[in-house]
Parts: sequence; C-alpha cells; structure tokens
Amino acid sequence: MKPAPFDYIAPATITEACSAIAEAGGGATVLAGGQTLMPLLNLRMSQPFIVVDINKIPELKGIARVNGGIRIGPMTRQCEVIESEVLARDLPVLVEAVRHVGHHQTRNRGTVGGSIALGEPAAELPATAVALGATIEARSIRGTRQIPATEFYLGPYMTSLEPDELVTGITFPDWPKGHTTLFNEVAQRPGDFALVGIVGALVIESGIISRVGLGWFGMGPTPINARSAEQMLRGKSLSEIDLQAVAERAVADTSPFDDHHASAEYRRTVGRRILARTLRDALKIREAA
Amino acid sequence: MSKHHVEMTINGRRHASDVEARVSLADFLRDDAGYTGVHVGCEHGVCGACTVMVDGKAVRSCLMLAVQADGSTVTTAEGLAAADGTLHPVQQAMLEEHALQCGFCTPGVVMTLAALTGDNSKPSEEQLLAAMSGHVCRCTGYQGIRRAAKKLAAAGDKV
Amino acid sequence: MSAATPLSDNHADTDAETRADKDTSTGITTGRYIGQRVRRKEDPRLLTGRGQFVDDISLPGMLHVAFARSAIARGNILSINTTLARDVPGVHAVYTQQDLASYKVAMLTFFLSPPDVETTPLANGRVVYVGEPVALIIADTRHIAEDAASLVEVEYAEEDPVITIADARRGPPVHPSMSDNINAQMGDEEIDVALDAKLKSAPHLITHKVVHQRISQSPMETRGVVASPEGKEELTLYITCQSPHMVARWTSLALGLPQTAIRVIAKDVGGGFGLKNHPWKEEVAAILAALKFGRPLKWIEDRYENLIGANQAREQEMVLQVAFDADGKLIASHGDYSVNVGAFPQLSECNIAVHMFVWAAYHMPAYGFLTRGWYSNTVGYAAYRGPWAMESLIRETALDVAARRIGIDPIEIRRRNLVTLKDQPTTSCMGIPREDITPAECLEKLLGCFDVAAFRKEQAAARKNGRYLGLGIAAYIEPTGSAGAIGTMTGELAQVRIEPTGKVTATMSTHSQGHGTATTMAQIFADRLGVSYEDVTVFEGDSSRGGFSPGAAGSRQGVIAGGAAIVAADLLATKVKTLAAHLCNVRVDAIRIEDGMVHVSGAPDKSRTLRSIAEIAYGEPDKLPPGFEAGLEAQHRYQPPPMTFASAANACVVEVNADTGFVKILRWISSEDCGTPINPAVVEGQIAGGLAQAIGTVLLEEMSFDSRGNPTTATYKDYLLPLISDVPVFEFVHANTPSKSVGGMRGVGEGGAIIGPPTLVNAIADALAPFGEVPVELPLTPAKLLSVIEKRDIAAHAKPEAIKAIADTGSQVAAPQTVLTPVVETAAPAAAVVDGDWKMVLSTPVGPQEMKGHFETKGQELSGYLSAAEGQQGFTGTVEGNRVKFDLKVEKPMKITLKYDLVVEGNKISGKVKMGIFGSAKLAGERL
Repeated sequence: MKPAPFDYIAPATITEACSAIAEAGGGATVLAGGQTLMPLLNLRMSQPFIVVDINKIPELKGIARVNGGIRIGPMTRQCEVIESEVLARDLPVLVEAVRHVGHHQTRNRGTVGGSIALGEPAAELPATAVALGATIEARSIRGTRQIPATEFYLGPYMTSLEPDELVTGITFPDWPKGHTTLFNEVAQRPGDFALVGIVGALVIESGIISRVGLGWFGMGPTPINARSAEQMLRGKSLSEIDLQAVAERAVADTSPFDDHHASAEYRRTVGRRILARTLRDALKIREAA
Repeated sequence: MSKHHVEMTINGRRHASDVEARVSLADFLRDDAGYTGVHVGCEHGVCGACTVMVDGKAVRSCLMLAVQADGSTVTTAEGLAAADGTLHPVQQAMLEEHALQCGFCTPGVVMTLAALTGDNSKPSEEQLLAAMSGHVCRCTGYQGIRRAAKKLAAAGDKV
Repeated sequence: MSAATPLSDNHADTDAETRADKDTSTGITTGRYIGQRVRRKEDPRLLTGRGQFVDDISLPGMLHVAFARSAIARGNILSINTTLARDVPGVHAVYTQQDLASYKVAMLTFFLSPPDVETTPLANGRVVYVGEPVALIIADTRHIAEDAASLVEVEYAEEDPVITIADARRGPPVHPSMSDNINAQMGDEEIDVALDAKLKSAPHLITHKVVHQRISQSPMETRGVVASPEGKEELTLYITCQSPHMVARWTSLALGLPQTAIRVIAKDVGGGFGLKNHPWKEEVAAILAALKFGRPLKWIEDRYENLIGANQAREQEMVLQVAFDADGKLIASHGDYSVNVGAFPQLSECNIAVHMFVWAAYHMPAYGFLTRGWYSNTVGYAAYRGPWAMESLIRETALDVAARRIGIDPIEIRRRNLVTLKDQPTTSCMGIPREDITPAECLEKLLGCFDVAAFRKEQAAARKNGRYLGLGIAAYIEPTGSAGAIGTMTGELAQVRIEPTGKVTATMSTHSQGHGTATTMAQIFADRLGVSYEDVTVFEGDSSRGGFSPGAAGSRQGVIAGGAAIVAADLLATKVKTLAAHLCNVRVDAIRIEDGMVHVSGAPDKSRTLRSIAEIAYGEPDKLPPGFEAGLEAQHRYQPPPMTFASAANACVVEVNADTGFVKILRWISSEDCGTPINPAVVEGQIAGGLAQAIGTVLLEEMSFDSRGNPTTATYKDYLLPLISDVPVFEFVHANTPSKSVGGMRGVGEGGAIIGPPTLVNAIADALAPFGEVPVELPLTPAKLLSVIEKRDIAAHAKPEAIKAIADTGSQVAAPQTVLTPVVETAAPAAAVVDGDWKMVLSTPVGPQEMKGHFETKGQELSGYLSAAEGQQGFTGTVEGNRVKFDLKVEKPMKITLKYDLVVEGNKISGKVKMGIFGSAKLAGERL
C-alpha cells in the first residue's frame, strides 16, 4: 500500500503554510502527526497534489495560558499533553481523554490539532473540545476566525473548516480549580475507537451544579453535545438528580450508527448505562468530599 | 512529485540520500539504508512491527515520511546490540524469556521496550505492558513478552 | 483458592544443567537438552533484526510486481485496457491471463490433486470474487507498479453474487462448469432411519447449532515471492512458505516443469498458520511473469491485499444432534455440516475430518453425518490451524448444553463418556483406533490443579452481587504427526554429520515459521550425540538441502523430524563409537561420548576430542575398521506410525460484564499431553499461540462481506486481532505420556486453536447460564452477549435498503455455456447402455480421483474393472435397467468396501459411492 505521488513542502511559518494551502486550490492536505493521514495516503483513500507538513512551524506548538483559558497549539503532541503539568492541574479531563487516544507509539507523533481537525466521530478529543466548550482558531490567507467547537463538527470527518484553512489553536476555557471530571470510554481493545464514550466536566458550588459540559463520542456522525442533559443538571442540587432520567435524555439526543463494531442499539443501551454510572461515581466523590 | 535530499543518523551512522516525498520512513530504512530489520506488517499503523526510535521516542515508521526524519536520529533493532555483539538488555530479556517465535513482530517490540527503558527511565511493569498493546503478535500469545517486560521493570528498580 | 489465583510460575531457564531422567510415573525421557527450556538458536539473529524474510531479499535486476484486482464479486470481463498503465514511466510490462495463457498451469491442491474447477493465476474472462487478480504489473518500484495498477481499466458485465452458505444453497452456480454450488459432499443426504430412531427415542436429545465466522489466518508477515529465472530449466524462488520442499514439488507439478531445477529458499518466515502451504494465484502469476519477462520479480502482498485477497478459513455452520440416556451417557449423534469454501478453495473441502474426530475421544455408539463445502463469490478457502476445529467446538459446547439441560455437572458428563486409558484399545464408531489417548487423564490432572467447588461458591456469591463469573472446560484429542495415508504427508529426513572440525552440522526437511525447529532438532542431536548444544548447527529452509517433507502442516514436525533426528543421531553416534573402539582397541560399549569428548571406560588417559576422531574418519582411511564407510555422516528418513494422538483438557474462568457484555478472562489452565516435550518453552509457546488465536476467534475476529461481496474488514481497524490485553497468562500442566513414535513426541502446533474456542465459549455460557443459553454464533461480541442478558436483540442492525433477492437474478444472468444438463436418449436395451468404457471422477476428501471404468453386462449380471493410477481392480455386480451396482473392497486409506450405485443416461454416468464410515461421495463421468 504505497501512496500515490504527491509534492511535499515543510514551511517554517503559518503564513507560508496558508499560502501553500491556498495555492493548491483544494488539492493540499495538511500533515500534522500523520497517524491518521498516513494510513489514508497508503490506502490511496487520500490523493492530494501536495502535502503541507506543519511539523516545522514553531508558532503551532506550545501550551500557554491566555485570558480565561488555556491555548494549545495544534502541533502539541499527544504525549506532551500527558506530560504537561499545566494541563494536569488545570484541564485534567483533557489529559484523561488523551490517555485513551491510540497507543503510546501513536501518541509520540499524533497531535491535538490533528485529532481536532479530523473530526472522527468516535474520537476522544473532538468530544472533549465540544463538552468543555473549546474554541478552534482557523486561519487562511483571508484571515483568522474563531469557531466554537459545538459548531465545528458537521458530519463524519466533516468540519466547518474551509478547504484553505488551517487550525492554528485550540483554546479551552478555564474550569475552576477542583472541578469534577467525567470520562468513560467503552472500547474492545486499548487504543481502539470507542464503541461509545462520554466526556465532560461539572462545577459544584454549595451542593448545586453551577456549570456542566457533556459530550458523547461514538454516538453519532459527530461528537454530540448533550445539551438537554446539561440542562437537566444545571442548577440542580446533587440530591435532586434523577440519573436515569438524565441518561435517557442524553441518549435521546444521539443518533448512533450500526457498524461492523457495534449496533446503534448497543451504543444506546450501554451509553445510557455508562453516563448514569459515570455521573453517579463522580457525584458520590463530590458528596463524600 | 517532489524528491528531497535527506540526512539522518541511523544507528549511529550518518546516512544521506535523495528520496521521493511519498516514501515512508519504514521503506527508506529498509530499501535505502539497508536496515531490513524494520518490518512492514500493515502499513496503517496498527501492528507495530515497523516501530523504530526517532529522537529517542518509539514511533511507527510506516506512519512517517522519510523526508520528515531529515535531521533526526533514528535507531532500529540492528543498532541496539553492542559492537562486540553483546545484546541490549531488552534483547537479552526477550531471549531469556522465549518472547519470540517467528520474529516478524519482534524488532518493533524490541524498539518500544528499548525506547521506554532507555536513558535511565524506570518504567513500571504496567507502563511497559500498556505500551505493548501497540504491538500485534500472532505467534506467542504474548507470554514471553509479558515475562520480559516484568524482568525489565524489575531490573530498572534495582538500579 | 480464588478463581484468579494462578499456579506458581515455575519456569527454570536452564542452559547447561545435566539431567538424564526418565520420570517413572510418566515414562517421559529428559536429557541434558531434551526436555529443557534451552534458549533458541534463532533468537539472537531475529532480535537484532538480522532475520531474512522474503521482502529482505534483493537480487540484481529485480523488478517489482503489483496487481490490479477485481472490484466486483461476480461478472464477465468485457474488456481490459492496459494502455494507460503501460505508459507510466518505470513500468516494464502489464500482463493479463491472455499473456500467461501459454503456460499450462494446474492450481493443485495441498494433496497435489487438480482443482475441481478451472483455476487460472489471473482472471480468465470472468471474475468470481472481489480482489481477484486481473492484471499483473512489472515496474521499477512497488510504488510505480501500484500507480500503474490503478490505471488498468476493466469493463465488467456485473452479476449478483452468491456470498453466504445460505446464498450458495439456492443461488446460481459460482462456476459455470458446475450445476450447483457444492464443492464437495460426503455422507448421507437422508439421515439413516435406524439412527434417526435412536435420536428421537432417546431420553434426552440436544440439537445444538454452531455458526462460525470467517477467519483470516493473518500471519504478521504477508505472502510474498521473489522469483528468479536463472537460465533454461533453473528457477530459484524465495517465498514465504511452510515448506520449501513442498513448494518446489508443487511448483514443478503445477507449472509442468519436470526438468527444471527448482530451488526454494525460505530462511525466515513470519508465521504461516495454514495460509502458506503452497503458492496460489498471485505467487504463480508472479513466477510465470518472471519466466516470461526473464528477470527476477518480487511480489510482496500488502496487508490490504492479505485481508481481501489471501485465502481464508472457518466460515461454517453445523447442527449436531446428540442423544443421551437417562444417566447422561451418549447413545447416538448426527452432524450436518457446511463450510463456505469461496470461489477458489485450495482443496476440495467438506471437512470430513470434523466427523471422523467429533466423537473420537468419547464413547459414542452411533454417528451419521452430511457434510458439504459450498462455493461462493468470495475469496477462497485455505487451511487454518486445526482445520477440523469445529469438531471440538461443537461437541464440547453441546456437552455443556446437555449438562445444563439434563441437570448433570459438566465435568461429570464428561467423566461418564470420555474414553480412558483403561478402555483402550478401542475403535471409535468412525473407525478411529484409540490406543494411546489420554483426554480423561488430562482432565483429571487439570482438576487436580483447580478447586471447582471453591469456584462454584465464588460464582454463586458473585451472582448475588450482579457479577457473572463462568468456568469453561473442554477435552479433546488431536491427530498429529499423520503420515502414510496421503501422498504428501510423508516422513521426515534428518541428515547429520560431524565435520572434520568436530562440529555437528545437520540438514533437516523441517521448516520453521516460528516453530523453532532449528533449536529443537539441535537439542536432540546434542543430547543423542553427546556434544554441547552450542556445537550443533541445524540447517533447514532450502529445498536444495534435506529431503521432501510437507513441513509445518498438521502438527507433525516435532513428532516425525524428532524421531528422524533421534535415529540419525544414534546411527552417527554408533559410527563414532565403532571407530573410537577400533582405534582404542576396546569394545564398542566401552566408549562414551560426552560434551564433545570421546571417553573409554576405565582408561581416562585415552579420552580424545571428537574432532580428532573426525579427522581420522575423513582423512586417514587406513586407520578405519574394515567395512567402515569413511567420514562421519548419517541420515534417516523416519516413517512414523500413521497417526500419533495428542490429548488435552483446558479450563478457563471468565467474568462477563453485565453492563457492557465485555468478557474478561481471569484464568486459563492448559493440561496437555504432548508426549516428550523436546523444549517445554517451545511447546508452551505453540499452545499459547494457538490459545491466543482461539481468543481472537471467539471474541474479536470476523471477516465479513456486504451483500455485493465487498470485504468490509479490509484493515486491522476492522479485523481485530487479540492484543496483549486480550490474552491472559496461561498456566501449563504437563500431563505427558510418551507416544509410540521414536522419542515419544506428540504434535502440539494446532492444539490451542482447537481446544481454545470451546473452553472459552463454555466459560461464557456458564457465566450467563442464569439468563439462558448463549447461541454459539462467533464471534461472541459484547452486543450478542448483552442480548442474552437482556433477552432482546441488541446486536441487530436496522434494515437498510432491501437486499436484492438472489432468486431474481436468474433472468439477469446470461445462461452459463457449459451447464450439465442430463442428456435423455431413447431407451436402448440395457446392454447397449451400460457396456463399454467410461471416464469417471470420484469426489473424495483428498480431491477428485480420476478413473476408467470398464463394464460388461450379461442379462442382469455386471462385471468389469476400475483402473486408476494405482492400478486396476475387478468387480462383479448387478444391472437393472440403467442402474448399475457393484462393490469394491479397498485397503487404503482404510479397509472398507466401496459400494457403487450409478445410473447411466446416454453418454453420462453418475451416482453415489458409499465409502463405509466415510459416508457417500459423488461420482460423475462420461462414455469414452
């Protein structure tokens, strides 16, 4: 399985990269970590005219505090997320999610931006971005824009990125110190895409849920923001929560696929359960604390 | 279709060549540099047979373009043993624990374990086993690989 | 003892312990090396990346091959346009079947019999599976060859394909030369009346169904060949295979190259598992292309090709009826079996072995069967580790179902029915002699290591907490080391010499794709000769050395090559001792060889090195005793007993998660009788490898196709292989008893893959017993298990667009040209119809058997003879109208009476041949 022929450049700046992408008129594909793109190239499922390698652009790296949040450069390797002290302290659910992405070896090359920009419906990172309310920065020769993650994903591997746009940053808003994290993934083998997964965060103040973000992965053509379930939780005290009802509502917002790995009904059945259990476990910890 | 000049250090030796953009690092190491110990098992990043070390980290060489390794330091299974033939501790542990049968997945397994135990790092048995989930072996049922990982983790503790 | 507590880990890695014991309780011999976990000779090379696999071979002038493959499952090829492909810079040639047609090729089976249907290396005017190679491209690099392959334009007249066994039963023939989709059939289409009565009148009758998914052998190294024509009648093949000798023989016969010196080299092979027994379409196409083009060509299968285009296995359905008396003792049984053999199976297969062995380990008085292989528009069938594994899967799971139904403990039901050593010798109802099997003993030994009562307590307590633990047990026997019944299953040749330097060199007909035969045979030579293991080198993997053997196929090498090595080593040791005795002027029995030194008892000053003896043997003929052949070389081709059985019992403990349907294996114990273990680490490695594959079979793997025949599991993202997290640490109980073969070995290569699946399925079924029976439809995915727990179908997909009914396609498919329609001629007197010579073909499990029949009638009396390659045999019988009946007694493969029952219609003759316990086979022929 060898790729079809393509041209290749590795620009040193974002500007150069955006120019190259624009010049290719839709025939360019961006190479970040390569863990998803290379198989597509090898299988000839992707046949770009030119591959624009963004690994050599320093401006795309880095994890930095910005006003009210943390900005992660798209070329941040997944292994760097796991090793980051800042993220461990401020965005633990992102670290937890990345631990489930692929394998040790793929995390050495795979990037945050690559996963975010791909939009695999069963992947952990897009759902985390959606659940936590991240914003994705996209840049082209025409300028820069900010896209809320909840508006970014349109379908399987389809995002609202224009053909000439490059993801140049993913900013997660701050969640207060000590917030409750939610993560549960059902996958047959480590590193597999999830059959169904839930990710999110809660803030509990004086026994009331003041803020909540919940996202599904593997439950539809895109990561799904479980808005109705969030509404059922927001403003409620821990004792008032009907977990089964929340889980039902959360699943009702999804439209999972039948595929080779699982049926839609399996996903709904198990999704309901893991959401209820994950919430219960997280809230119990809160109650105990 | 673009061709590029690349230079990298492979197993301690500088290697320079011209390569088409679309050639993977795996194929480059095998065909251009002659390191056929890098095995190609799937070409889509699942089986791990092609694992090598690039700048100290275990990566799937079928998922990197050769041109991306320009300027890097690459190590393959051929580059681990000492000049006098003494096996690297990972190779030695796998030899002792009967961790291979056909040997096709083996160089990849060796490189992941070598990358994790290199440079005075002391991974736990759990960490080594977790990294082993990035390798598919069809022969051994992973029994000897488990024992080798246990041995290597214990050896790290002793240091 | 908790279910999850393993036995203590008692691996003792010994390099140089001196032990020569015979364990008096088991009779198993161990020696300084035999029976020890000696480190493998192959490992330093493989660990340092110095293996030599086929893709590592590079020859001067070598070019690269890629294939253009069919994108549809069934249809006629209207045109192939290779113009664009040929114009790609770096492309040297593009061949289609037309270009290779001048080479007459017979795609032979593993038994070297011709295929049942026309099988060409590249598609010949018609495609019958997605992925079928249509054109071959030769280019400077694989990259360019693939570029060109994507530019080959093929126009098809597409037809609706036949995909599943159900489709095959009713759909139009996959092959135009056939009238239906039956590739092979044996047994009785109507269940025997007496048997049926026994089943129906039994106190307990279990009707148990198993549906088995299709499996890809998926060795980590895919197929591949470097074909190098080296002058007229000289061909070298580097090919990843399971025996270089088998490949050389197969290639010579298949390609009709009797004069060609074919040398096949395969130093390291990355797993075979049955896929690589002999070349198939792509390899043959590459070899022919090399002969035609005149330069070395390399084809390396990529993983996508391997998953869609390499032959596959295991897609089967079987219904087993089992009748028990009130005490749970077996009364009678019937099996109805079908296997999907795809479009081009590598052998005629209806898996008769399933029926021969399904009850071989048990007391079963009566068994009948119907067994069929079905063609379909999918990639064809090849062997896979224990091809008859269905017998253990269906039997052991049926026994557990019966146990639950009747209310007997599953261990007890086995105790009541297993054949024990005390019962032997005895013969199974299918004629399998049982003289040397120990499944019952393996089970008892297993139970000595596992506290079942404690587990049952733990299980009951867990159930109260909503946790579902299960215990699965299975017992089986396996025919290993088979030789003599089928032409290609031969003995093994061991050739060993002590070099003038004193070093021991051996060449074997064995072959390793991970088996470690260079190590195990070296252990034997070292032990029996009295030299150190380090001083022995075993060469294999090159057909120019050693002699014919089918290599790794049927768990045979340890048994047969082990025996050959022992005898050859003993012959050589005798030579050394004879010469040494002569030189020292003592009796032969005063000589001892130890650690490369030759010692004389009672005269320590006379000790000398083996090297010094060798130098004399080769270089000083005057010093040799009269009649002594110079040199120190010996060889032996060992012909073992026809069959050597291995036995085993396995147990595993699982927990099924009631929320997700996921299965976690908590513990697995293998109690195996593999006879003398030459190297316990190698033996355990083989068992573990087979068990890991069994786990994949039960829980993860599935090759599937959509309704158009497109493979939907074409990458490792979808075809899930077991990872380290899926495979537990196995515990091994060695319950070895020596076999009757030289050395006492029993085969162990396939066993794990045969006994593993029922052990695991039984554990899962036991865990979920409170919810009901688990339908045995592999793989047992989480969704399927959740369906059992929740008593509703969670696994089903929503019905999408209606799948086109196969019945509709008849009108759309152009009528095949060569349909066999009965030719009805005006009735003539009986004599005129039957008398004469006939060319007939009998469909047997080892392939079609051609024969000539000569019939002479006199009134209602029939006489005549049948003649085939093996000879001629006369018969007498009866004629009634146009119906001919006669009996023929044969000795091979077993003593049976063949009962012919044929009907003549004009110039065609057809009917059935009842083959004793083997059921019936079809016969067809025409007048000569």
